Amino acid sequence: MTISIKKELDSSQTILLLMSGIEYNKTMVKVVKELSGKSVCYVTSNKTFDSLKETFKKNKVEFKDMVFIDSISKSLKKVPDSADQVYYVSNPGALTELSVVIGKFLRHDFDYLIFDSVTNLNIYNKTPVCIKFINSLVNKIKRSKTKAVFYAVGEKLDELPEHISSIMDRVL
Amino acid sequence: MAKKILIVDDEADIRNTVKTILEKNGYEVVTAINGDDGFKKWKSEKPDLVLMDIMMPGTPVKDVIPKMKGAKVVYISVVRTSEAEREDLMKSSNIKGFIQKPFDINNLVKQVKKFVGK
Repeated sequence: MTISIKKELDSSQTILLLMSGIEYNKTMVKVVKELSGKSVCYVTSNKTFDSLKETFKKNKVEFKDMVFIDSISKSLKKVPDSADQVYYVSNPGALTELSVVIGKFLRHDFDYLIFDSVTNLNIYNKTPVCIKFINSLVNKIKRSKTKAVFYAVGEKLDELPEHISSIMDRVL
Repeated sequence: MAKKILIVDDEADIRNTVKTILEKNGYEVVTAINGDDGFKKWKSEKPDLVLMDIMMPGTPVKDVIPKMKGAKVVYISVVRTSEAEREDLMKSSNIKGFIQKPFDINNLVKQVKKFVGK
């Protein structure tokens, strides 16, 4: 990825970032590196919070100003509802819960929101349900000052990214 | 007699693909769509190995695994965990392996052979 996501977010409030599975690790690190230093809310349905921390530490990414919403860990192990820097949501299918938690953060006007990823969300929820959820989330973002980047991982534009691309300001 | 493998995955594509490949390799395959279904099939079918997706709708896999006493289970995971989390997940005596999705099908067959033989 040669583009600067930070520059793109200067002119677009919501971006759908398409990447292949091979590019995923490199791209997600690059995006977080670019946005670090600002307040970031990182929503994950792909890696656990611990796995993200491990990746960021390995790649020397500063993440002290980030808050994470982890929808994976509760299904894998015993975790509290929240801990330092992280809020745990039951599972990636608990969209109401996820929506409520993200909504709380949006009220605090974070600079950026990273949604990792719509593709993984689609594994646990049917496409029309995901479209409705992303649509509602984008509307909430539009009413806030937060700028958001949504990851879609895959070799081609699948049904869900194709549908939600129309509600994003920009698709990269 | 062919060894029996139980595939537990909520993704029909994965279930069908893995089933076809394992059958081609001489295994008898049964499938289940989630943890609860997997537990039922494990009791009734008595498979030699269970290939279990780690994240599925319904009862969390972490609550199903302890009920499957004596089962040989290999986790299949689309979600990425940290090294420490993976080690923790592998602590249960019936967890024999961990395969990250997307997986190489030859590696999957190799793992199955390793745990149950041909």
